Amino acid sequence: MKSKIINMAEKSKDAEDRLLELLFDSEPVADDGFSVRVVRKISRRLWLRRLTLPIAAVIGGAIAFKPLAGLVAALSNLSSLIPEAAINSAASSVPQLQTIVLGAVLLAVGLVGMRMIEE
Amino acid sequence: MSSSADNELVARAVSGQDTAAFGELVRRHQSHVRNFLRKLAGDYALADDLAQDCFMHAWDKLQTYSGRGSFIGWLLKVAYTTFLQSKRKSKRYAEILESAGQVADQEGRSSVQPVDEIADLDKYLAVLTTEERAIMVMSYACGLSHREIGDATDMPVGTVKSVIFRGKEKIRNSFEIKDHQHG
Repeated sequence: MKSKIINMAEKSKDAEDRLLELLFDSEPVADDGFSVRVVRKISRRLWLRRLTLPIAAVIGGAIAFKPLAGLVAALSNLSSLIPEAAINSAASSVPQLQTIVLGAVLLAVGLVGMRMIEE
Repeated sequence: MSSSADNELVARAVSGQDTAAFGELVRRHQSHVRNFLRKLAGDYALADDLAQDCFMHAWDKLQTYSGRGSFIGWLLKVAYTTFLQSKRKSKRYAEILESAGQVADQEGRSSVQPVDEIADLDKYLAVLTTEERAIMVMSYACGLSHREIGDATDMPVGTVKSVIFRGKEKIRNSFEIKDHQHG
């Protein structure tokens, strides 16, 4: 008797759930180019993201070029005023090949790290 | 729609930034996501815009999908978050407009929806809160399990069950109210 009542309750619950499922049911929405639009938007954004860093580097280089060129010119003018002994001691403190390679490696690692953080 | 195929497509999209694999995922699930947002927003054009935003967010966060639950469950979580964010933003926007005295303009801009598309369901959904509506739609329209809904809404399974119970009761009552009014 008890199980019959439980079964009836379950049946009525199922019927209500089925009714709600029918009520909430709707026709599948046709794609109509929706997925293509989404993918196109994502591709465009990927390209923009890839171009951002090189474009920023080019713009930064262009902005820094003029003052840097001025600085180099000023330094070359200054070198004629510096005594030869001082130039020789400065030449000995110029970074050696190992230091340059290490610097380049650090720069590359830094760039890759930045890229990873960005992603 | 097998979940292993979904997981494979997700892996391809994440590892190689494969937009074609992601496009396939969009094709497979756009109907569910758009239907979910249409029922939630009640405005087809807005819902489709939100669906596009949802897939953009999904692309950005794809690596956070662990593959534990179903992909559609995870996607509906992103869709629900996108909807809530947009609702919050539009509320703030409406407040700014109201303070500037341009509310009439805003009302004139409200989206037009064909009368025949305003089904009975919309009336019943209107009696539910946003949270109840989202959970009921996830359960009855998208066929998500209580656990999946819990994952999608960051709610314990017990709370999900009680929200569904409350939603059903509200809909049942609104049926009764309608019957009394017409009978």
